[in-house]
Amino acid sequence: MITVIGGIEHKGFGTGAWALVAEDGTTYELLDCPRDLREVGLHVKVQGTLNDDVMTLAMIGKVLNVNSFEIL
Amino acid sequence: MRKLLILCLFCLGIGFAISNFQGLATTGEFDSLVIDFKENIASTEIDRQLQVLTGEYHLAPRLNSQFSQSEQTYTVKGDRALLDKLRASSLSQDVEAIEPNYIYRATVAPNDPQYSKQWHLHNIHAEQAWEENRGKGITVAIIDTGVSQVPDLAQTEFVAGYDFVNNKVNADDDNGHGTHVAGTVAQSTNNNYGVAGVAYEAKIMPLKVLSGSGGGTVSDIAEAIRFAADNKADVINMSLGGGGESQVMKDAIEYAYKKGVVIVAAAGNENRDSASYPARYARVISVAAIDAQGEKAEFSNYGAGVDISAPGGGNGSKIWQETIDPSTNLPVIAGFQGTSMAAPHVAGVVALIKSTGVTAPDEVLAVLQQSVRKIDTDPQNYYGAGHLDAAAAVKLAQKGKITFNDFFRWLRDNGYLNLKFWIDGGAIALLPKVAMVLGSYLLAFLIRNYLPFGLPLFSGLIAGSSGLFFLKGFYIFDLPQAPFRVLGSSIPELGNAISGNSILNPLFASVLIPVVLLVACWSLPQGKWFAVGTSLGVAACLFVSAAISPSVWWLGDGGMARGFLIVNGLLCFGLARFAARGDSQTV
Repeated sequence: MITVIGGIEHKGFGTGAWALVAEDGTTYELLDCPRDLREVGLHVKVQGTLNDDVMTLAMIGKVLNVNSFEIL
Repeated sequence: MRKLLILCLFCLGIGFAISNFQGLATTGEFDSLVIDFKENIASTEIDRQLQVLTGEYHLAPRLNSQFSQSEQTYTVKGDRALLDKLRASSLSQDVEAIEPNYIYRATVAPNDPQYSKQWHLHNIHAEQAWEENRGKGITVAIIDTGVSQVPDLAQTEFVAGYDFVNNKVNADDDNGHGTHVAGTVAQSTNNNYGVAGVAYEAKIMPLKVLSGSGGGTVSDIAEAIRFAADNKADVINMSLGGGGESQVMKDAIEYAYKKGVVIVAAAGNENRDSASYPARYARVISVAAIDAQGEKAEFSNYGAGVDISAPGGGNGSKIWQETIDPSTNLPVIAGFQGTSMAAPHVAGVVALIKSTGVTAPDEVLAVLQQSVRKIDTDPQNYYGAGHLDAAAAVKLAQKGKITFNDFFRWLRDNGYLNLKFWIDGGAIALLPKVAMVLGSYLLAFLIRNYLPFGLPLFSGLIAGSSGLFFLKGFYIFDLPQAPFRVLGSSIPELGNAISGNSILNPLFASVLIPVVLLVACWSLPQGKWFAVGTSLGVAACLFVSAAISPSVWWLGDGGMARGFLIVNGLLCFGLARFAARGDSQTV
């Protein structure tokens, strides 16, 4: 389980992909992003697990499975 | 023994690079020759030569046009053998030139009404490739979100695929990505509708492994690879990536490779050094993305693992194909960007190459990499071997004489992917470096009476002139490339080694460092000779740079820069001579 604080972005690959860009610049892909997080510019704290067994069409970074989140 | 082996491989690589360097003049088609007589030749002599051509060679020389009389330019039917024969004959004394009359062809654009949007197909010279081959008989597996048979895939042939996400035979697309990718490979073309595809006579095998939200498991993808190999796919395209290394995936790739399937994958969209999985596996051709200007797309991964680059959009440009709008399921011609879009351009060209008759995966890769438009300066390996060129690839494949060197396979399998210095830059990158080393030795030879030829001096010559330049070609997964560039740079190049461009920094490319080094090392006998060697090496490097690419920060790339380099080169030589002579009593 990891905790990431950062901003929500929408990346223009394919029909679009939701991303969490951490304060250190690391980009995580939010595959099956929770509806409440789907807003560009949200500053959030997300707790989740990295999913190494998944590949995606967006290829923007590691996939972060969201367990819980808090909008800051 | 190991050192000897590495040395042999190194020499082999250099020899191969030089022997394979072909001038531009070796390309092009012709079926007639131009004979341009010298202007001061008497008309009687011209008549005599024309009679010889008619009598001895059974040719019918004629003026090229009514305007050729004053220039005395004639054409005759003939091939390269005749060209060589005429050049060796007495005719050569009377002419300015005997040359191939190269054929320039206008190509016919397909009638797809939105074809003009597809800058990316123009970029890879698709039209010229289509004159020769359109991918007939080849099956391309699209491992993606599925493929829907939109109207602009109506004339495209499909073979049975599978939906590994929902475990069913029908592999329709519920996202839009896979259909777009399939469109790049084999969109129905010349059908008076929509847009075109690279290998439009190839067959599509739709394999769905990614869900509607765009993700899928490594196990499904590995199964799809095996399915493709077992069902006679010739090419696999994977516009997907991420995750870590997986033995299951690696085994599946090896299985398909051994069955002769060429596997192409996207390098990834993280803008980082190293391709992502599965592109970085050794048997996979990894594709980076370029934009409409031919520059690296801002998102594209680069560096270790990148084999080639192809259009993927970026910096405002998009790749246009027909796909579905997932919200309505209706067809739409959409502009997408990503290395996802670059990979199918390569997969399409692989289909053209395979259809031409070159089928072994290693040979296909060799054709792809040898036919690219090379990029002269690419220190970060943004482009792999270079920009994809469909027309050149098909032409090269038609020659059917591709040999893949075991040396390069060894390098590739060991992670030293795409050693541009040896393979791609070839003689272009190599010769200036050789000139710099030889030049530094020549300068040392000029003042040999004052020099003790030993290790300190030789080390200095190398450090100043070329550095351990072959290290610049090393790209290793997950390691930054900058240290290799620094180790591989000579002292004058150090100022631009970190930033990775080829414009010299005047603080480094000057007499400054040799002066400082000499002052610091003056009292150390070994150190002084290293400094003298460095000074000579820097002089050689500056002279060669002034001759071939005089680019210096703030001074541009013209006369100012050239003058600066030459003056500093002379100062370095003078400095070395002064230092060596001052100590000549002890030599």
